[in-house]
Amino acid sequence: MHEVPSGLLIAICVVPAALALVTYPLARAARPLGPILNLLGAVLTAALAVPLALGAMQGQVLVAVSRELRADALSALLVLVISFVSLATAVYAFPYMRLELLLNRAGRDAGPEARSRRLATFYALSLAFLATMVWACVTNNIIMLYVSVEASTIASGLLVAFYWDRRSLEAGYKYLLLLTVGIAFALFGCVFLYASAAPYVSEAAGVRAMLISDLPQVAVHIPRGIALLIMGFFIVGFGTKAGLAPFHPWLPDAHAEAPSPVSALLSGVMIKMAIYALARTLSIFFPVAAYHPVSLFLVVLAAFTMLLGGVMCLAQDDLKRLLAYSSVSQIGYIAMAIGIVGLGFGQTTGYLAGYGGLFHLLNHALSKAALFLAVGAIIYTTAGRRMSELSGLARRMPVTGVAFFVAAFAISGMPPFNGFWSKLTIYMAAAKAELWWALGIAIATSLLTLVAFVRAGYRVFWSEGDADLAEAEPRDAPVAMLLPMGVLAGLGVLIGVYPQSGYPLLDPAARALASIF
Amino acid sequence: MTYNLRLIETLSLIMIITSVAAVESHNLRRAATAYCIQALLICGLILAFAVGNPALYIWAAVALATKAIITPWLLLHYISRTGDEEVRAIIGFGPSVLLASALLIASYSLTHRYVHFLAPTPEAAQGAFRTNLAVSMTVFALGLYAILSRRDAIKTVIGLCLLENAIHLSLVSLAPEMRETALVGIATEVVITIALLLYVIDGIRQELGTTDTFELSELHW
Repeated sequence: MHEVPSGLLIAICVVPAALALVTYPLARAARPLGPILNLLGAVLTAALAVPLALGAMQGQVLVAVSRELRADALSALLVLVISFVSLATAVYAFPYMRLELLLNRAGRDAGPEARSRRLATFYALSLAFLATMVWACVTNNIIMLYVSVEASTIASGLLVAFYWDRRSLEAGYKYLLLLTVGIAFALFGCVFLYASAAPYVSEAAGVRAMLISDLPQVAVHIPRGIALLIMGFFIVGFGTKAGLAPFHPWLPDAHAEAPSPVSALLSGVMIKMAIYALARTLSIFFPVAAYHPVSLFLVVLAAFTMLLGGVMCLAQDDLKRLLAYSSVSQIGYIAMAIGIVGLGFGQTTGYLAGYGGLFHLLNHALSKAALFLAVGAIIYTTAGRRMSELSGLARRMPVTGVAFFVAAFAISGMPPFNGFWSKLTIYMAAAKAELWWALGIAIATSLLTLVAFVRAGYRVFWSEGDADLAEAEPRDAPVAMLLPMGVLAGLGVLIGVYPQSGYPLLDPAARALASIF
Repeated sequence: MTYNLRLIETLSLIMIITSVAAVESHNLRRAATAYCIQALLICGLILAFAVGNPALYIWAAVALATKAIITPWLLLHYISRTGDEEVRAIIGFGPSVLLASALLIASYSLTHRYVHFLAPTPEAAQGAFRTNLAVSMTVFALGLYAILSRRDAIKTVIGLCLLENAIHLSLVSLAPEMRETALVGIATEVVITIALLLYVIDGIRQELGTTDTFELSELHW
């Protein structure tokens, strides 16, 4: 593994951020420019993410700004996922954000002036959101990790409250307040970690306490009590942002009330960025045997999270809340895998768990984004989002229906879809670690997820209820909405049939997570 | 390094008192004023520490601008729209003062006595740094208490402000050699978050006619 200085890392943060700055005034001047600039930002970021990932596959680690920015395979994987899901949602936003019905949801002040202002803000903040998420994944500075994660909360706060009605304002208030309080704990963790590492590093030798990549060298010197405290702070702080129970109450509200393209970003990639921050900071301590109990605590928390999310899925009538609770549940699988990596059961188990967790992170990002886009398409064509109001949409929206079921089966871990392989890898890791109770909960939750999704899908697409909806002419959503949804769901099938296709990037990423060099 | 220990301890003690005042005052304007005084005390504390570390003068300036000027201005601006009286809390005034005092004494004495579990470096467990760390934890606990027990949305923001003050204080004791860029980043974000929260709360007030968080009950399960 060799570090290569590269301007690519600066470019990938600066490009979307700079576009975010110019988008608001330009979109105010000419309304069509908003979605175009948003798409341009997403395309450029994705174009920069590809060489980053290719470099990482060959074992390169890119660094920039005296190693303040650093991207190994783990960072590259996240950046790639974030930029491609953003690209899909940027295409999707073209027709979706033009919908009168949605823009009028705010009612009162949706005059042309207010609408133009609101849309310009939407596109500018979408780009800022993308920039902050990418920044969080490539920063190597422990304090800047906090700053970037909090910046992503700030950038997305008004996106959650976009409709500015009773429900979305409530969601926005909870989102900003709970995440800021939660992340305050992570800041304590970052500051304590920095302060406790500082006495043991020598700047002369080129090791700095501020840099995440240098911290594993000194982790063993940090007093045990302090280290446990720091890890606890990270689990509460970044765990809140990732949606781990019991810190998750903001998630279903925010993910359900945000406009669908934003929901796809929040559930698809933002919580992944948070779980990345958790994995990145906790993995500093993974090689030290004394800290394995904390990892076990994470596994317990993750098991609780997945079960709670799975049960809550069954209680939902609102499709978007169902998807949001399913995200809570699936983030539990990823967190459990990360916990198993830290348990110290040897390199094979650690690698297997890391591989499974990151594979599931990738699969869930693709499939959950596809699901939110599918539900967005249902809202777009029928104006309904409650299962009890919807029925027999299969004839009317065949493409959306197929995408919904493919992504739903993938998330439930059914073969031959992508989610099956990643969940299987996590099950194998849990079995190797002899965590039978965790394995049992994970399999049971998968079944719950399957039940919840099949029930919802059957009700919405096949059941015979409202004759008007069932017998209406086929009128699926516009191609610009079906295309990104179809590509995301299709990638799920492709990875399901060729599970080895992710290996070149997932392998070095899992090695980085499990500290195998 | 000789710090003016008596000054630091006095300022710290008054900081705790201002926290209690900010949490317990039913008049939002007075609570915001208490918060503002606390921010000025933090600036004073940072200046007291700056004797040993001149870089801290910049910190004091940043804290003064963001915490003692912009944040109170934002708070007072939105309070002037909602009215001075806080929406009645879950807990009555008497029990709340008792609870806050108990929390204060418990968290201060625990963190001060068992500072070795908290202090990442031996220096942080001694003298003024020790007091500072204990005060920081106490203010953090009081801020969390305000967020959890108050119904008024603006009051929860004041609680959040206390939380952030506590973090700022612990930064001074734990990581005084931290780069200015990181510090400015943290301080700016706090102000932006508070501005956004107050903006959303103002939207809630226009929509619901109240800042009572109990009225935010559309979203369940």
